[in-house]
Amino acid sequence: MKRQIGNRIEIQTNGDIAIKVKDLHKSFRLPTEQAFGLKQAIFNRLRGIKGYKEQKVLRGLNFEVKKGEFLGIVGRNGSGKSTLLKILAGIYYPEKGEITVDGTLVPFIELGVGFNPELTGRENVYMNGALLGFSNEEMDTMYDDIWEFAELKDFQDQKLKNYSSGMQVRLAFSIAIRAQGDILLLDEVLAVGDAAFQQKCSNYFLNLKSHKQTVILVTHSMENVRKYCDRAILIEDGKIIQNGNPGKVADAYTKLWQ
Amino acid sequence: MNIPLVLNRKNRILLKELTKTDFKLRYQGSVLGYLWALLRPLMMFAILYIVFAKLLRIGGDIPHYPVYLLCGTTMWSFFTECTSQGIQAIVNRGDLLRKISFPKYIVVVSATWTAVINMLINLVVIIIFALINGVTPTWSWFLVIPAILELYILSLGIAFLLGSINVKYRDITSIWDVLTQALFYAVPIIYPISMVADTSVKAAKVIILNPISQAIQDIRFGLITHETITTWNYLGNIILAFIPIIITFSILIIGALVFRRKSKFFAEEV
Repeated sequence: MKRQIGNRIEIQTNGDIAIKVKDLHKSFRLPTEQAFGLKQAIFNRLRGIKGYKEQKVLRGLNFEVKKGEFLGIVGRNGSGKSTLLKILAGIYYPEKGEITVDGTLVPFIELGVGFNPELTGRENVYMNGALLGFSNEEMDTMYDDIWEFAELKDFQDQKLKNYSSGMQVRLAFSIAIRAQGDILLLDEVLAVGDAAFQQKCSNYFLNLKSHKQTVILVTHSMENVRKYCDRAILIEDGKIIQNGNPGKVADAYTKLWQ
Repeated sequence: MNIPLVLNRKNRILLKELTKTDFKLRYQGSVLGYLWALLRPLMMFAILYIVFAKLLRIGGDIPHYPVYLLCGTTMWSFFTECTSQGIQAIVNRGDLLRKISFPKYIVVVSATWTAVINMLINLVVIIIFALINGVTPTWSWFLVIPAILELYILSLGIAFLLGSINVKYRDITSIWDVLTQALFYAVPIIYPISMVADTSVKAAKVIILNPISQAIQDIRFGLITHETITTWNYLGNIILAFIPIIITFSILIIGALVFRRKSKFFAEEV
C-alpha cells in the first residue's frame, strides 16, 4: 500500500525505517499588516504590496527514525520543532523535500483535542475517542478503564467546564494512551497532573520503551530525554545541529544559552 | 491524483461523532432544546402566512396554500442553514484542523448534516399538515427525494467553494448573509410564480431557471399539487429545463476542486 500526498509518502512495509525525512523545508507567509479581509487584499494588490512576509522555519532537515526507536526532539522556542512535528503528523505540508512514513501514525500535538466545555465528560470521551479512530462500540469496552485511570469516576456526567484544568488534562491523557499505532508522536504531554499522576505517566512511557514502540517525543525536559530516549535531535534555527546520544544532545541544549 | 477514501472506517466514525456534537451543541442550554429545530421554521411560517396570505392576500388561487408556503419556507431554511453552517465550518473547527490530520471535507459535511436532520424533522411536519389539509398521498411524493438531494448537492457545492475562500477572507460570511436575503426574494417562496408571469413571462422563466426555485417547485409539485409551475412544465423546452441541474453540478465540481486545492493550507491559515 502506498499513498502520496504532495511531498508526503505513506507506506506499509516490513523495512526497519519508520520515518525518513529528506531535505525538508518549510516557510510560512506571515501577514505583515492587517491582511485579512477583502478590502485589504484588494488594496495590497493595487499598491503592489505582497501583504505577507516569508518566514523560513525549517531549512533542510535530514534524519531517520528506526522502528522501535524512542527519539527525542529538543530545541528552543521558535526553533521549528513544533512545525516539524506538525509536518510529521500530516497537519502541515512540506514545501520542499520529502517525508516517508512507514506504518500508521498517531499524533498527540495536544491533549484533549476537540474537548468541548459545554459537553459532559462522557460525551467528550466519545468525541475524543472518535478523533483517535475509535468507534462507539470500541469506546464502550474501554470506557470504565479510562475513568479509572483518570481517577475521575464521580465526574463522568458533569460538564467539562466544571472540571479543573488538571482534571481535564488527566482525562485527556487517559484517552490518549488507549490509541494504538505503529508510530506515536508526542508533544510535551508528559507534564500533566500531580506527582501521583506523573508517576503513572512515567510508567506509561517506560512501558512504551520496553515494548519497543516507535515514539517521537518533543520536549523541553532534558531529564525526560535522558530517561526515555534512545537518541535525540537538537534543532536550532530550523536546522539539526546535533543528532545522536541523548546525554550529549541534552548537554548541547543546555549550553545553547550559557 | 489522490482522491481521499470517501468513507473509510475512521472517517465514518469521525463524521458521525462530529454531527452528533454539532447537533447537541446547537440547542445546548435552551429550555426547549431540540424542539427549536421544529419551532423556528414553524414560527417563520406563521409570520409569513399572516403577512402574505392574510394581509396581502397572495396565493389565493393555489390549492393548499398554507402547506405550499410551509414547504417553501422549510426548504429555504434548509438551504440557508446548510450553506451558512457549511461555509463557517472550517473556521469554526479550526482548533481541530490545527491539531490533527484528517480529510477536511468531513468538517463541512458534518456541519451541513445538522441542517439535513432539521429538514427531515420538518418534512414529517409538512406531511402531517398536508394530510390534515386534505392532500391525498400519491406516488409523486417520491419526487421529493431527488429534488431534496439536488438542493443538498447545491448547498454542499456552495459550502465547499465559499467555505474555502472564507478561511482567508472572512468577509464571505457577511456577503453570503446579504446575498441570501436577496436570493430569498428571487425564489418563488412567498409569492406564486404565476404572479410574476402576469407582469412578465420572461422574468418568470428566468426565476424558474434558478436551481433553488426548480428544486422547491419540484418538491411542491410532487408533494402538494400538480398545478405547481415547475421548470419542466413551464419552459416548454426540455433542454433548457436541464440548466438548473447543470448549474448545480457545476457548482459542486468547482467547489470540490477549489476545496481540494486550498484544503492543504487550511491548518496554517485558519
